[in-house]
Amino acid sequence: MLSRRNFLTHSAGGIASVALSHILAGETLAGLPELNGGLHHRAKVKRIIQLFMNGGVSQMDTFDYKPELAKQHGQMSGPKEKPEGQTAVAGAVMKSPFEFAQHGQSGRWVSSVFPHQAKRVDEMAFLMAMASKTSVHGPGSYMMNTGFILPGFPCMGAWISYALGSLSEELPTFIVLPDPRGLPYNQKANFSAAFLPSRHQGTIINAAAVPPVPNLFADKKHAFTGAEADRDALALLQKMNRQHAAAHPDDTRLDARIASYELAARMQLSAPEAFDIGRETPATRTAYGLDAPATEDFGRRCLLARRLVERGTRFVQVWSGPQGAVQNWDNHGNIQTELPPMAANVDQPIVALLDDLKARGLADDTLVVWTTEFGRTPYAQGSLGRDHNGGTFVTWLWGAGIKGGIAHGSSDDLGFKAVQGVTYCYDLHATILHLLGINHEKLTFRQSGIDRRLTDVHGHVIGEVLA
Amino acid sequence: MRYGVLIALTAATSALAVDFAREVRPILERNCYGCHGPEKQKSGYRLDVREVALKGGESGDAAIVPHSAAKSPLIRYVSGEDEEMLMPPKKSDKARLTAAEVETLRAWIDAGPAWPDEFAGAKDTKPHWSLLPLVKPTVPAGAAHPIDAFILARLAEKKLTPSPPVDPRTLLRRMTYDLTGLPPSPEEVDQFAKAGADRVLSALNAQLSTNRYGERWARHWLDTIHFADTHGFEHDDMRPNAWRFRDYVVESMNRDTPWARFVREQLAADAFFPEDTRLTAALGFLGAGTYDSSAAGTAPMSFEYLDRDDLVTQTMAAFVSTTANCARCHAHKFDPITQEDYFALQAVFAGVGKGDVSYDDDAAVAKQRRHWQGLKDAAEKRDAAVLLAAENVALVEAWEKTRGAGDAWKPMLLETFLSAEGATLERLADGSVLSSGATPDKDTLTITATTTVGELTALRLDLLTDDSLPMKGPGRATNGNVHLSEFELQVFRPGAGKPEKVPFRRASSDFDQTGYEVGKSIDGDAKSSWAIHPSVGMPHFAVYELRAPVKLEPGAKLVVTLRQLQGGSHLVGRCKLSATAAPAVSLLAVPAEAETALHTPAANRTQSQQLAIAGFVLRARADDELAKLPPMVQVWAAGRVAKNERGVITLAEPRTIRLLKRGDLDKPGDVVPPGALLNARFDLPNAKDEAARRAALADWISDPRNPLTWRSVVNRVWHYHFGRGLCDTPSDFGKMGGAPSHPELLDWLAVWFRDDAHGSLKALHRLILTSATYQQSSAPNAAASALDPDNRLLWRMNRTRLDADSIRDSVLAMSGRLDLAMGGPSVPHYTSKPGPQTTPTLNYENFDWATPGAARRSIYRVVWRGIADPFLDALDFPDMGQLSPVRGFSASPLQSLALLNNEFVLHHCEHLAERAGGIPAAFQRVLQRDATPEELADFTALATKHGLPAAVRVLFNSNEFLFLN
Repeated sequence: MLSRRNFLTHSAGGIASVALSHILAGETLAGLPELNGGLHHRAKVKRIIQLFMNGGVSQMDTFDYKPELAKQHGQMSGPKEKPEGQTAVAGAVMKSPFEFAQHGQSGRWVSSVFPHQAKRVDEMAFLMAMASKTSVHGPGSYMMNTGFILPGFPCMGAWISYALGSLSEELPTFIVLPDPRGLPYNQKANFSAAFLPSRHQGTIINAAAVPPVPNLFADKKHAFTGAEADRDALALLQKMNRQHAAAHPDDTRLDARIASYELAARMQLSAPEAFDIGRETPATRTAYGLDAPATEDFGRRCLLARRLVERGTRFVQVWSGPQGAVQNWDNHGNIQTELPPMAANVDQPIVALLDDLKARGLADDTLVVWTTEFGRTPYAQGSLGRDHNGGTFVTWLWGAGIKGGIAHGSSDDLGFKAVQGVTYCYDLHATILHLLGINHEKLTFRQSGIDRRLTDVHGHVIGEVLA
Repeated sequence: MRYGVLIALTAATSALAVDFAREVRPILERNCYGCHGPEKQKSGYRLDVREVALKGGESGDAAIVPHSAAKSPLIRYVSGEDEEMLMPPKKSDKARLTAAEVETLRAWIDAGPAWPDEFAGAKDTKPHWSLLPLVKPTVPAGAAHPIDAFILARLAEKKLTPSPPVDPRTLLRRMTYDLTGLPPSPEEVDQFAKAGADRVLSALNAQLSTNRYGERWARHWLDTIHFADTHGFEHDDMRPNAWRFRDYVVESMNRDTPWARFVREQLAADAFFPEDTRLTAALGFLGAGTYDSSAAGTAPMSFEYLDRDDLVTQTMAAFVSTTANCARCHAHKFDPITQEDYFALQAVFAGVGKGDVSYDDDAAVAKQRRHWQGLKDAAEKRDAAVLLAAENVALVEAWEKTRGAGDAWKPMLLETFLSAEGATLERLADGSVLSSGATPDKDTLTITATTTVGELTALRLDLLTDDSLPMKGPGRATNGNVHLSEFELQVFRPGAGKPEKVPFRRASSDFDQTGYEVGKSIDGDAKSSWAIHPSVGMPHFAVYELRAPVKLEPGAKLVVTLRQLQGGSHLVGRCKLSATAAPAVSLLAVPAEAETALHTPAANRTQSQQLAIAGFVLRARADDELAKLPPMVQVWAAGRVAKNERGVITLAEPRTIRLLKRGDLDKPGDVVPPGALLNARFDLPNAKDEAARRAALADWISDPRNPLTWRSVVNRVWHYHFGRGLCDTPSDFGKMGGAPSHPELLDWLAVWFRDDAHGSLKALHRLILTSATYQQSSAPNAAASALDPDNRLLWRMNRTRLDADSIRDSVLAMSGRLDLAMGGPSVPHYTSKPGPQTTPTLNYENFDWATPGAARRSIYRVVWRGIADPFLDALDFPDMGQLSPVRGFSASPLQSLALLNNEFVLHHCEHLAERAGGIPAAFQRVLQRDATPEELADFTALATKHGLPAAVRVLFNSNEFLFLN
């Protein structure tokens, strides 16, 4: 396969090739080979799969064991006035309805809703004291995706695309696999490139659609299109565009567009194969849970994520749960009945993904991040649910560059607020960029008078979780 | 006396005085200036400038408290008392201050601190270019056109020369796209090439006079202020009334509203032009940005703060190219904007909330509404000055003359009556119905009756007393009360299979229990009702006027339903129904007070009696007149009163705005009054008048002396014509923004636009487009490129790629499909179905481009903030979550796939192929030129093999089409 730079030189026929790489790369900083693809230092991670649990996973019912809840169960010790962002006044302290047990050598506590992930805790690094600046879904989802609580900022995937570009020109650099039941809160704005060039935005793939990449091929109802017609049309287009560019030799944008048609043609050739999970073995399909209704959908998307990173997509984001009152992690009404089905959707597929990445050697340069937009209250909402809580929640990291079996930070005895080793999205993002060989303070884009960063003016690399 | 004290103080402290220059400054220089001096100002703090050193940095707290070293953070930091804030910090390679040095500083502060003027330092000696007062520079010699003169002068400095004039085809393409966002037709190109010397002026005047101009330039403004049709955020709901603002902008551009007026209308049309209610649409500016309805409900404090922040950011960026929002958390790091300035701007908007604002689209209607609403208010207040004014006395007298005598009411002939819950009903001799027996908790009484009235205008319900009822009634509750939840009427026409529901216009009664007015018996809400407590033991009545008279043919039956659903057996005890054909106004149930007054001969009435009658009659008349007016329309904006998902929100007075330390809601500081930049604070007679605050800001912005406003607008226009502004950051004229390439030209244009053109954008376009600078070629020139590779000096025209809207509109225009219908609700380019919550699920892929309205210009499409149109997105239509003063350029495989395979393109390839009929005409439509022989051969071969649309598809993807030379 031609490398990115070689390809550019070839396609531009030597004309203004330096300037061309400037414009294609210029909006991409592009990693340096001597740094293992990193921008500022040696990269440990080259590809990322982010598993985003939409709605706010209840930390004290999954990974953040709080025996104190059982002791104080039923006591009205919460805030008297409704805190900003919560949807109701706090009810009584509510213990977790699930059993917790310690797992692995690290002795990590995991509730009974995640029996599969419990077996891999020694490979994961837990951020036990993540906090958000908001307890409202919209701003909270923006924050975890873009580092800002307001709309209009580029998400992490877009920043990574901008910084490092693609590992393969045959697939989009940044792919989003939303829950087929619906988009998350903020709709597609969570995947926006915002003020970065629009090519860095997330390509939304409907895993069930044919073809999954939008506009990959023309609708067959148009007789003037089709494989041969497309090839002939492209040949003539490129001839015409090259003649035009030759008459305007100082404009690299013209060359960039010529190159992008070459890339489009390559994507047409390789994307259908990449998205065809029918090529996987029955054993793999079973491992991901494709033959069980509860796990089928999330399993398919996890498997797709693996196929994509394997083929050079840099960043894949897999969402669990649409926006709305049901079928997601926003369990206001009843933790005992609403949480287990969500957990069952994702638990087995997640572990299948981790095992698969390891078996294929992809774990050596792939990072998996499991997260959500905020946590939930130790105080009941109604009598059985839990309300939004930006005070504390859990994220875990797995894979390249990560020290397994450790937990960083902790929340208070009830799990209401993060108290020690508090980390915000800025720190998580700084750490992820660090693993990619990027200094988060140096990855900037000038917008409205400010050198914008994914981490705003914050962010510390969380050294404790690094291998 | 004051001087005496000062001298005494100085004398008293002089003995202890530490010499600043010899003792203090060297300590600061050695230990502090590295991070807090001329080079760096960490945390916005510097110790080499007296003003900043004393006042403190971003934290907002004074670093040095006069006469108190103990209270001065500076001492706590350098001494290590505040370990966390130890200075120099542990991490730095600098050593801590010695104890002696700390003592010197302590003594210096305790004694003053004395900081002589000659060492005061200066933050910045010269104001930033954008803040310098506007002075019209002299036009350099060398060219007839002032723009060319300025450009030539700068080129000459670099020994550069401008490029030759561009060919007519390219020029017309450039001009037509610039002014209208559409391509010229092949015929127009042909005529232009043949036309005489004045062709540029006549072509641009023609383009400026079409409505296509306003559609094009409105889009630029909507980008600049991040206007969209939906909220963004968690609940990305449609704003069905946002389009009225979009139409306002299109109209303003076409009408060429002078810029100062454009500013005033958008910020405070209600304050400046209250009579012209149509301009309320302009206030859509205030609602242009995002809106987090979820946070509005659950996190109101941070919501209001950030929502106002968005509006402040938008206003200051759009009108004065300033990033005021940078001062939200600390004084602006680069520009002279303090946190106080920022919060003063928040205070300007502290009296409005986002939502639909109602207004009359017709000023004459608004005038009527004001008149009758005023009369209604006066009636409620019993305002004698108004009610007894001659014109109103005449209205009352006329009413009294037409007032129906008792015989206007014809008793209805009851045929059947039925209690749903089994109460015993009995018809009495006077035609009334008496209820007895079972006393259910709730009941519904259904009466079928006929009437001799031919054209029914109203029904009268009499609630009568009876000795058999508790407290003599008229109700059956133990206290004699009755609650009538709903009063309904249906007509059964002879031969008709089912009854027709007859709506009521108004209900009136002789008495209402507080909170249970008679109107509640026709409000469709079973939970509200009419009741008469404590006026029990006496009869009462209500009159129900029909929305429109109903003709009753012989045999028609009336079905009256009395729903009594309050519970507690608040049931009708005895009632009677009558009907009338009399005109409505004469029918009102007259309240007891007025009824008594009416029995007194007019000449003998006291003023209080006159007012009782007039108040009642005029209120009813006002209600009648108001009901006749066409309904108000709405625009999504922000106002003191605005309707959103939480209902109609009214702010009695502006919220109090406090400076927030570090921008933190938990750290409120002093109250900040409304104002603007550079410490401008508005002196308003009534602090509670929120519109006056917005008007004051509009005045500040549109003031001829404001150095930013006029530079901002001319630079924006320049940006859209040349692909880059003279200052290349059109919404940021601060120190982080670009420096102008031609500061004199920018200033000259700003003054000319303000004074000579009187703020006319069209005049500015004319000026720019008639310059040789604009009309020069964009062809390469290696020698010039070597000297000015970026073309900052404009030795040639910049080549620009068509923006997303122009590409889409061109495809429509070229294929002969463009629908030029203007205005109205935004057009969807997707199909939608309900989503999990209020945001629908959109499908852009299965949209049928033959749908009526689908071929209208892009300015009229629904711009969904969170669910952007993937096709226009791929062509760099901006994310409307943020202000977009500049459109981006990108090239990607996904963009190429969109242009090749998107259904919109393919659908119109077929239309253009059909319209053109052959390769030559297709080239003319798309590129406005003939195909070369080689092209003709190539394209003909492709078309022969795959069809003519295949050739059109290539043209739509060609760089020659997508770029303007």
